[in-house]
Amino acid sequence: MASTSVTRSRDVKLQGVPASPGVAVGRVLRLDERGRHQFYYIGVSAAQARMEVRRLREAVQEARAQLKEIRVRLAEELGYEHSFILDAHLLMLEDARLIEELEHDIRSRRVNAEWAVRSVTDRAIQAYKQINDPYLRERTSDLEDVMTRLLTILSGRDQFDLSKLDQDVIIVAQNIWPSTVAELDFKHVLGFATNTGGLTSHSAIIARSLGIPAVVGLHDITRLAKTGNSIIIDGSEGLVILRPTKSVVGEYRAKRRREARRRPRPAEETSKAAETTDGVRITLRANIELATEIESLRLFGAEGVGLYRSEFLFLTRLPDLPGEDEQYEVYRNLAVVTGDAGANIRIFDLGGDKLTLEGFEAEQNPALGLRAIRLSLKAEHVFRTQIRAILRANLHGHLRVVLPLISTITELREAKRIIADVKQDMAEARIEHNAELPIGVMIEVPAAALMADVFAREADFLSVGTNDLIQYILAVDRANENVAHLYQPLHPAILRTIAYLVRVAETQRVSLELCGEMAADPLQAIAVVGLGIRTLSLVPGSIPLVKNAIRSVELERARSLMKDAMKLTTTKEVEELLASELPRQAPRFFAAWSSKP
Amino acid sequence: MQQRTVTISNRLGLHARAAARLVRRASQFSSSVTLLREDTAESADGKSILSVLLLAAARGTSLIIKTEGDDEDRALTELVELVEQKFGEEFSDGVY
Repeated sequence: MASTSVTRSRDVKLQGVPASPGVAVGRVLRLDERGRHQFYYIGVSAAQARMEVRRLREAVQEARAQLKEIRVRLAEELGYEHSFILDAHLLMLEDARLIEELEHDIRSRRVNAEWAVRSVTDRAIQAYKQINDPYLRERTSDLEDVMTRLLTILSGRDQFDLSKLDQDVIIVAQNIWPSTVAELDFKHVLGFATNTGGLTSHSAIIARSLGIPAVVGLHDITRLAKTGNSIIIDGSEGLVILRPTKSVVGEYRAKRRREARRRPRPAEETSKAAETTDGVRITLRANIELATEIESLRLFGAEGVGLYRSEFLFLTRLPDLPGEDEQYEVYRNLAVVTGDAGANIRIFDLGGDKLTLEGFEAEQNPALGLRAIRLSLKAEHVFRTQIRAILRANLHGHLRVVLPLISTITELREAKRIIADVKQDMAEARIEHNAELPIGVMIEVPAAALMADVFAREADFLSVGTNDLIQYILAVDRANENVAHLYQPLHPAILRTIAYLVRVAETQRVSLELCGEMAADPLQAIAVVGLGIRTLSLVPGSIPLVKNAIRSVELERARSLMKDAMKLTTTKEVEELLASELPRQAPRFFAAWSSKP
Repeated sequence: MQQRTVTISNRLGLHARAAARLVRRASQFSSSVTLLREDTAESADGKSILSVLLLAAARGTSLIIKTEGDDEDRALTELVELVEQKFGEEFSDGVY
């Protein structure tokens, strides 16, 4: 492929981490981030441009009012001597040339107000940087300050809606934050390319779940790519080509067509059962996080939802919490759509790398901090509200609750006590609900894995969350590209842990599910099935693929293969064994698949 | 049109505070106000702080102040005075 593409200055090639397979050819939409604010470039119509000018003018008025107030306060506290700088700030906002330039930018380039402010500021700062005088050069910080105020006012209210993209784009960003994902309109997103992130970072998971090609870990793509540039991303190779020439575009369009043909069509697979050749039935459930994904369950043939990441309800609206009724509506829909197959709702997994609740501060080491069940037990009112909404919605289907990041049995007992208490309150208040609500434990902390026999006695079911479990067992931050190679799902320590959990579940007759990225990788999925897992929960988009893999293997052979694998001592040996044996055992699927180790 | 040449003589030159005062004063008149550096021939809109700051006129810079409009005489007199009085820096603050 590379040899046929002519290297010209236009074809800027960047190598990153292949995060989600597939080829996308399109135009860049760069998401800009400064501090906590993200300023998007949005192309607007002429009519919208007029509205953007009005928004800008209102924001300028508001910024001036704020500055005047601050100037008065500062003058009172420190004397006029020190308030002069605010006068300079005010004058910047009164600077007719600047305002004209901003409005001109909006009208002529048809962009949103935020983007105009950002680009005009950047141009002005460039001009100041040419100045020899160090004191005057420093005025750029005043300008930044004023513009940041303006941007904050602008995006604080009525921010241009990312959910209303009207053309297909490829998102280029520092990182894809969960909150951004929750906002984006995925009908128009062809792919992702990000600076940071490893194979199992959130951006990558999201991309795979949506079946969108993605390349992550590109370091400085946000600097090199500009909104509107043409771009190709090859998610299978981890390659990005900026401003490609025509011939390269043609080449990749052809590759995209070839790949589309090779991927199994969902419709063909959904009608068949996920059964091994020797007749063992495997249940494939879906991991979902967006309300819109509920609709994809049928398309991909998911047997209910093994993991509904409920915190995504939050992420677009923090610090506000979704109320009980709002949650109820979502859970009820989930209950209705999944019907008898049911759905596991994971209690809010906030904190950590995800956003946290108001009143709780950012922590030094969030992965080991106040998050998930720890946060729920501390912010008990939030937990209670969620449980009430679930109990009400449970009237319409078969919901179950999963508690995330449990590390000690007392947390399970405390959560069960609160849930019992909520049920009693509801019964007394005669609020209709279905109290038959199984409570499961996520096994994702090594302590919980080692104590699984204890949890099996008191929980209604166990769910292995492999993403976090692997991270904690191997002490690897999966989003840190410096150590991402040490994140090894087939590490013997992981295999032993899963084998142990299977044994516990069998002897104690408690149901065991496995959710996480492992379940979505055909080779790893067969590995855990060989270890004895019978229920997998994975991104809906990967269900047809994994089902295909399962239908190609004989369970007895997979089991003995894993017996051999358990004797090995390194990840590499395990991978090599599987990569050499599976194509022989199940050539229909794995002969074509084994090109990648 | 009226014009006079002045020399920036305050210690810090046409920095933020001085520029702010000059722009404030210039904005009080309906006439247009243009500042022109004699040495580099760069010009600035006297009513735009960003433009004035970009002149980077340090102490000793010769500036031509041009005013044009109904109140051009008064505008020129007052602006020249402001520069010659070193933007009131050596006097007490809080004048406007």
